[in-house]
Amino acid sequence: MLLGPPLLGALLAAAVRPYRRFVGWTSAVLSLSSIGAAVTLWRHVLAGDVVTSGPGEFLRADALSTLLALCVSMVGALAAWLGPGLATGEDYDAAQTRRFRIFGNLFTFTMLFAVTSNNVGFMWIAIEATTITSAMLIPLHVTKASVEASWKYILIGSIGIALAFGGTVLGYFDFVNLVGRQEAALNWTVLRASAPQLHPEVIQLAFVFILIGYGTKAGLAPMHTWLPDAHSEAPSPLSAMMSGVLLAVALYAVIRWEAVVNAAVGTGFTDGLYIGLGVLSIAIAAFSLVIQRNYKRMLAYSSIEHTGLICVGLALGPLGTFAAMLHLLNHALAKSMMFLLAGRVLHRYGSTEIGRVSGLLKVMPWTGGLFAAGMLAVIGLPPFGLFISEFALFRAGFAAGRPWLMGLVLALLAVAFVSMIGHLNRMLYGAPTAGVPVGERDLWPLVPLGACLAALVVLGVVLPAPLQALLRQIVEIVEQ
Amino acid sequence: MDSVFSQLSVLGSSLVLIFGLILLWRRGVTAYISAFTWQSIVLSAVTVIVAYFGKDRELYWVAAGLLLLKGLVIPRLLKQMERRFAAERELEPYVNTASSLVVSGLLVLFGYAVTRPLVALSQLPTRAGMPLAMGLVLVSLFVVISRKKALTQVIGFLMLENGLALLAVLGTYGIPLIVELGVFLDVLMGFLVMQIFIYQIHETFESIDVEQLNRLRH
Repeated sequence: MLLGPPLLGALLAAAVRPYRRFVGWTSAVLSLSSIGAAVTLWRHVLAGDVVTSGPGEFLRADALSTLLALCVSMVGALAAWLGPGLATGEDYDAAQTRRFRIFGNLFTFTMLFAVTSNNVGFMWIAIEATTITSAMLIPLHVTKASVEASWKYILIGSIGIALAFGGTVLGYFDFVNLVGRQEAALNWTVLRASAPQLHPEVIQLAFVFILIGYGTKAGLAPMHTWLPDAHSEAPSPLSAMMSGVLLAVALYAVIRWEAVVNAAVGTGFTDGLYIGLGVLSIAIAAFSLVIQRNYKRMLAYSSIEHTGLICVGLALGPLGTFAAMLHLLNHALAKSMMFLLAGRVLHRYGSTEIGRVSGLLKVMPWTGGLFAAGMLAVIGLPPFGLFISEFALFRAGFAAGRPWLMGLVLALLAVAFVSMIGHLNRMLYGAPTAGVPVGERDLWPLVPLGACLAALVVLGVVLPAPLQALLRQIVEIVEQ
Repeated sequence: MDSVFSQLSVLGSSLVLIFGLILLWRRGVTAYISAFTWQSIVLSAVTVIVAYFGKDRELYWVAAGLLLLKGLVIPRLLKQMERRFAAERELEPYVNTASSLVVSGLLVLFGYAVTRPLVALSQLPTRAGMPLAMGLVLVSLFVVISRKKALTQVIGFLMLENGLALLAVLGTYGIPLIVELGVFLDVLMGFLVMQIFIYQIHETFESIDVEQLNRLRH
């Protein structure tokens, strides 16, 4: 039920050659049923079940998969409803619309498959497939910049993923040496169960490959160089999916392996690596934000910053993992909303330069207002969810006895904070840019985006009990 | 029996690595393509050897898949592209030949260092080849970083995948067949997408020199 809808949507879009609008509507409606399936999954998981299906537990969804499936299906639905799939004309021609319907749906499908596959080999295949399907969508409008961005993305992404494959092979190697070859050896459940007997040196080497490999896709510095280019040049709905959930799916793969490695050699090893890469990512993102002149790139660097934060959180014990997972959900909501809003701004102003956008609040009062509120959410101000998760993360850090680390991270976040507020001010106020029509048109896309913001506010005020229970289960999976 | 097996597998792995090193000192995409083709054929042969001595029927299928995909289909597509871009002159790589050979030597040594725990642990007669496979992975990575032509970068990437396939077959007698099939599918799809992008680069920039891809900074 979870995986079917996007696959069906893609097949339908591929099969129907005359570019009819009903195809777009069908995949949009189907995307809602994916969300429904994810929520059902949530209910089952909270009842204590682990949902499996297929021969040999081929698909398996525990709490961690459920959280990711929720994020992916929500953002996938946003992209299906607000993306070129339903666009009415001037921006995209029929062929581009069809391409988006096919590959957008496939992209969602591969991400959902990655987070529900029990077999780490298939997880790898699915994540590699996310690179391919999303890369096809970056140059939807062929320009020099988008071609460059897609080339960097596919090359760096593929190499990263290939290294992750190396890590998977090394993990399998360790397992085979222990108990011999068997078909189920790549199943996460089997690996996890035999983890305490794995050889520390080999599994550590495997994890280094895994972290560098999937970390490339998650946008961790210093492998992040493709990310700002791809996010800024991709069509906005795709940027929303990539930034909101693709990075999270890549981190999911790392976390799956982390659980195995932690059970084999304790948490010290993974903690050190996480902190190193996480802090480096935050630092590079913070200083790149200062010199940013392009608002889509600004959002992209902010994604690197948040990925780094999640990594640091994962290194801070059970409390930190809890905070990191909450942060992942908040970030998926906030960043997909922001990229879709940025798409509206770009559509009106025709430029991604911060300097060319001024008087946003006068030109598009609703979009501008949401954009401003979303930006405040992204930089971690109350009353939004990201404030709560960052706060929880810092508390976990102090509780784990790492005050210096937390001080450093806090200082870097302050740098990001100040520079993003500055950029935001420049865009919101001032006289409207000459030649840009004033007045809001086409208001209904703002409804789902407003709902995202409302959800962020809710998460900033209370932590609903079902969500809390889900996050606790995830912590048990990762840290036990 | 085992000693023949282990010698053959090491010989095969060395050949696979040497074909990878050709990228460092030859100029010209034609030479690179034939190096890649031969490398894939030898890799497929190594897989057959492991299948025969290791008595693993599944591996024959893997070997056949490797030969078909990387020995036949991809080289043919590469040649097609090469004909299309034949008029373009070769470029100096970022690192000259002599230094890249030195760097690669160090990388292979590093491969030995990294795989030491693996070799110490493994009981398989093929274990001595694993450092060579890791060496190929590292050298290919270096090739991708240091070359300026999009086509050469793709070949470097394909060789990196060959290195990983070799590592899998030597270290574990291959990953489960069904996973392997998925990997093949991904390799093919990924390659096709890269091919599309190379044509796009050629169309928009009128060259496949990636040094021109410098519009996006900071």
